[in-house]
Amino acid sequence: MTSKRRRFIAVVAVVAAMALMVTGCGAKKDTSDTGGTKKATEVVIGIGAPLSDGAVALGKGMVRGTVLAVKQANASQELKDLGLTIATVEGDDKGDPTTGGSVATQFTSNPNLVGVMGHLNSGVTRVAVKIYNQAGIVQVSPANTAVDLTEMGMKNYFRVCTVDSVQGPAAADYAFKVAGKKVAFVVDDATVYGTGLADEWAKQFAADGGKVAGREKTTDKDTDFKALVTLIKSSGAEIVYYGGIYNSAALLSKQMKEGGVSIPLMGGDGIYDPEFIKLAGAANAKGDFCTSVGLPIDQLPKGQEFQAAFKAEFPSEAIAAYDAYSYDAANVIIKAIVQVAKDLGADKLTTTEGKAAIVAAVAKSSFEGVTGKVEFDAKGDTTNKAITVYTVGADGTWAPAAK
Amino acid sequence: MSLSYLLEQTLNGITLGGLYALVALGYTLVYGILLMINFAHSELFMLGGYVGLGVLKVLSDPAVAKATGWGFLEPIQSFFMSGNFGFVMLLVATFGISAIVVGILGMFIERFAYRPLRHAPRLAPLISAIGVSIFLQNAVLLWIDSKQLPYTRVDGSAFVTAKTAFTIGSVNVSTMQVFIVVTSLVLLALLDTFVSKTRIGRAMRATSQDREAAGLMGVDINRVIALAFFIGPALGAIAGVFNGMYYGSVKFNMGFIPGIKSFTAAVIGGIGNLRGAMLGGFLLGIVESLASGFLSNAYRDVVAFVVLILVLIFRPGGLLGEAVAEKV
Repeated sequence: MTSKRRRFIAVVAVVAAMALMVTGCGAKKDTSDTGGTKKATEVVIGIGAPLSDGAVALGKGMVRGTVLAVKQANASQELKDLGLTIATVEGDDKGDPTTGGSVATQFTSNPNLVGVMGHLNSGVTRVAVKIYNQAGIVQVSPANTAVDLTEMGMKNYFRVCTVDSVQGPAAADYAFKVAGKKVAFVVDDATVYGTGLADEWAKQFAADGGKVAGREKTTDKDTDFKALVTLIKSSGAEIVYYGGIYNSAALLSKQMKEGGVSIPLMGGDGIYDPEFIKLAGAANAKGDFCTSVGLPIDQLPKGQEFQAAFKAEFPSEAIAAYDAYSYDAANVIIKAIVQVAKDLGADKLTTTEGKAAIVAAVAKSSFEGVTGKVEFDAKGDTTNKAITVYTVGADGTWAPAAK
Repeated sequence: MSLSYLLEQTLNGITLGGLYALVALGYTLVYGILLMINFAHSELFMLGGYVGLGVLKVLSDPAVAKATGWGFLEPIQSFFMSGNFGFVMLLVATFGISAIVVGILGMFIERFAYRPLRHAPRLAPLISAIGVSIFLQNAVLLWIDSKQLPYTRVDGSAFVTAKTAFTIGSVNVSTMQVFIVVTSLVLLALLDTFVSKTRIGRAMRATSQDREAAGLMGVDINRVIALAFFIGPALGAIAGVFNGMYYGSVKFNMGFIPGIKSFTAAVIGGIGNLRGAMLGGFLLGIVESLASGFLSNAYRDVVAFVVLILVLIFRPGGLLGEAVAEKV
């Protein structure tokens, strides 16, 4: 090979690599409507969610909730008066901490980005939140339940859902006291979320007087639980608690029932999705439990309104576990942006001063959201600590369980 | 931990081993002939699962007939859903179509991604294979779905219900388990006979020993290689359908872990050796299942790869592999 040709190949390789990077950036979809007056200041809210891998059904719901909130805000007279439009940009974290880190870096390198609505997985946030913190950008998560995220000293981090130390014990109390299960087998998917939740559950179940007959770990990508099912069968457990998301939980439930282990599986908010029932099969999922943060949407004053707006915007889709939380989380950011735009002027929003003011404004949030009252304590946790237990009924849907 | 518990875990392992063995055969067949590791094989396994699910849905799911408005499907579906004969035909059609479609795809991949690189340095086809693997994964991700799809009908019931075939002591053996193990053993026996007894099998062995000399003796090398790239992926596709039916779902990246494990199985058995791939597959499946049942689920991969390392230390060529001097 001549050196000329070798150089040509090197150039081609570099160009190809750059093309990849460019398409990688271009793959993020801009979902705003940028019509209207051209002079308006445009700020961007990043949506960090698993969109191609991991809990995709929940991640897509996060995009829906945020897009709905932003669309309503852009249509409001308040934003038009301020000469402000809000756009959204999606970052696919694949439910994976490493990918989440690069999504966060992409977000913070966008000069117009003033806030992040995300991420779904606690493990992803643990990496991403530090990057947002350095850039002084506010992060509001609709779904992170790992307890320690608000104890890392990140002043820019807030969440609108309650945490595993509330959710796990509430679920364990239900299993022991209401469902009357005395022996449990605890499994988690070795993620930050799954392990944390399963630990909290097991601790409370033992404290209530129950017996934890076994504790096993799988991964969040496992599909083969046959050996585990045999182990569960021999342990004499009356209930299985699974800390993780619906993909693997559904297959565990299915393989349990098919392997002759007819005991309910219980999980956290990560399995509260119709996909769980679809993957496990309605007959297998029947009687399984899960908990989710907050009260059922239709029991809340603003729930009906949200459901109507959702139906109008996404007629062919169903509300998943985090659509409403994402809607509220996005509104937290939008309200803060509006507040700061009023105080400092719309053109100051993207400055360091503006971003700091947005963080301060988010901390002072207080409004009636779809999921209940939205307010944060000093650490950034929500003050709304309600937990609801759901069960799969004969009709193959999640419904609030009998108390 | 009773005897029946040991038996039940071994049974889980044998079934898993049957799946590994079917996929491992594809790796070992291609390696035996081309000395190349087909990294796209795990994606062909995945595609087999998807094609099988598609065929099952079209041939037996009343909801598909309704949704597509294809009225002509209804008599076909009622044939496949009526009685045992229809059901057996349904399975034959599912496995057959999946194997043929994926087998042809495997031949296409060989023709367009590997054959142009046959005389290139050995790394080039390897990189090409990784490229094909990434392409196939992303194609499924973009064109089909990024979500995990259930291997079930619309009502959530399995296409093949896991009934109990027979009972040993207190251990129930399901029809699905018998089906997987028997199929993989039969396919290995057929393949082994094919390679050792038929004319084209002899051509395959000759090509594997010395490609150029075989070519000079009148063997159509391209045809032999294309055949290997049909049989390997077709077996992988059958394993993919089994995997979907047995574990209950398909996903665009589902091939990765079984692919690595099956490759490991092929290496344990002696890569290039068909019976070795089968032995390695069953051995790995049983070891994994017992490790998971008696140590902890978290240890299954650790134990599996410890076995690989031990085999490689004491028998570098694999259990049934021959110590061949490196070709120069």
